[in-house]
Amino acid sequence: MAKSEMKENWDLKATKELLNNLQNQDLENKDIELPEDTIKIDDLRRKEALNKLYSLVDSVIEDIYTTGKPVIELPSRSNSNIIWDEESDLLLLGKQIQQKQFHSLTSVVDITRLMRVLEIINELLMKDMHATKREIFYTDVKLFQDQKNSDKSLEDVATMLYTTRNSTHVVASARGSCVGRLRIRDKNDIIDLEGLGSGGWGISPMLDNIEILESDAEFIMVVEKDAAMMRLAEARFWKQYPCIILTAQGVGNVAVRMFLKRLSKELQLPVFSLVDSDPYGHYIHSVYMRGSKRLSYESPFLATPDIKLLGVLTRDLDKYNVPDDCRLDMNKTDIKRTQDLLKEDFVKKNKAWKTDLELALKLKKKAEIQALSSHGFEFLTEKYLPEKLSTGDWL
Amino acid sequence: MRVFRKKDGGIVQLIDKERMREWSIELPLIFIEYIRNNKLDSYDDDKVKKSIEKYLDEIMEDVAVPRLIEVLEGDNVEEIINALERIEKIANENLDLTRPIRPYLEELLKKDNKKITNLADSILELFRREERRKELSEKRKVMEKKEELFMEGKITADEYAEARKEYIKFRDNR
Repeated sequence: MAKSEMKENWDLKATKELLNNLQNQDLENKDIELPEDTIKIDDLRRKEALNKLYSLVDSVIEDIYTTGKPVIELPSRSNSNIIWDEESDLLLLGKQIQQKQFHSLTSVVDITRLMRVLEIINELLMKDMHATKREIFYTDVKLFQDQKNSDKSLEDVATMLYTTRNSTHVVASARGSCVGRLRIRDKNDIIDLEGLGSGGWGISPMLDNIEILESDAEFIMVVEKDAAMMRLAEARFWKQYPCIILTAQGVGNVAVRMFLKRLSKELQLPVFSLVDSDPYGHYIHSVYMRGSKRLSYESPFLATPDIKLLGVLTRDLDKYNVPDDCRLDMNKTDIKRTQDLLKEDFVKKNKAWKTDLELALKLKKKAEIQALSSHGFEFLTEKYLPEKLSTGDWL
Repeated sequence: MRVFRKKDGGIVQLIDKERMREWSIELPLIFIEYIRNNKLDSYDDDKVKKSIEKYLDEIMEDVAVPRLIEVLEGDNVEEIINALERIEKIANENLDLTRPIRPYLEELLKKDNKKITNLADSILELFRREERRKELSEKRKVMEKKEELFMEGKITADEYAEARKEYIKFRDNR
């Protein structure tokens, strides 16, 4: 496609309308009300988390004195206890409770690991320090044996305390990055996300140190691929189209999802995702939108229910004349994943999304974001994105 | 966030001043300076610029200065010393930001603690130096005028020499 053909004046009309609606929404009415049959967790400050931890240990000590058989109760994280709430459009944890007994042979290893993690978290909170999940594993390799075990204990502790994992000062490794019209504070440093070169700011997992200071962005865009992020950064896309761009290089990790949630809640901006046109891309979008099953107890702190799927949609492949040789055949796994997605309640509820996935199943074709560069490297930044953002062509 | 709407439908959002009450005491000043120096001109909308300038003044008046004063008027010696060290750093970079707290620095000179009085005096010295600089600049202008008058023969050599002597004396003693 000729460059002059691409260089049109896009007014982002549809995006501005969405922005206006969001800005006029009453923030108080935007707070998520959880259904009665789900558990509520809180994001806690350091001292609040310590207090909760102490009262839990107190109750164990009391059990030892009174019954001699201490028990810890925590919400079950099994599939049967994960509920999709249509109202809030989130995956949440139900009220089924499981017990971990100190005196039972079957749970003695489990409970020892749990108490060890509790001890480590106490140390982190006391010292106001943060650690990664990997570091937690290495504090006691003999006991944990595999990182899966320490990760599980960690998630158990967070649910036991009815709080988010970040509130326990155990954080995910830094993986995502962010650029665009945003100024933040990391402790006493002011960071300008427009002035950090093409690499952008590495999203800090220690989000309790981060505060949003200023922004003149009009929308937020989450990008699946690092390559697409590089294209947007090189074109300094946010200069012409005021936005904040994030990537997690794949499925959003806790830090990226939590940061996106913060941006969306505090700035009240429209949020879009740009993913590959394949079932994995749609899955990535769904994790940003309603959370993952594994971390369903944290969904209200991690999910961005208002996120729109901007592209690449299956219908875009024809609309934007993506050449046949840039389209890939779906394999068996892709077909199975698409069928699984179509069975999800949240997809069934969204007619346009369902139609796009059905079209993918019919054509049995997928494509990467980079397939758009068959029309030139500038096509993504000068035609595809501006046109979709101006016309409101999203799901 | 405090939202400022632009004519073209765009927006600028700044953190609410209430949230700054929990910040370390020098941070609101750094924030004000940052927005003034780095962002204000980029907003491209005169009305928004004016509203933001007004908001920054509000932050200064309602949060930044009261927080500094609260510490300086308190009894916690360690906190006062910490605050003074931060204020000295800010004053060296931008004296205007610390001008509203000058009277409180003068009060601190009456304290018994030597470190506090030394720090307060060293910050006040920056104000004094600034005043002397302004005074010298005034006197230089007067001297230039005298030079012109002398060249035009409107004042005598003695009058000129006397003025010159006074000016040099002031300049060297400042």
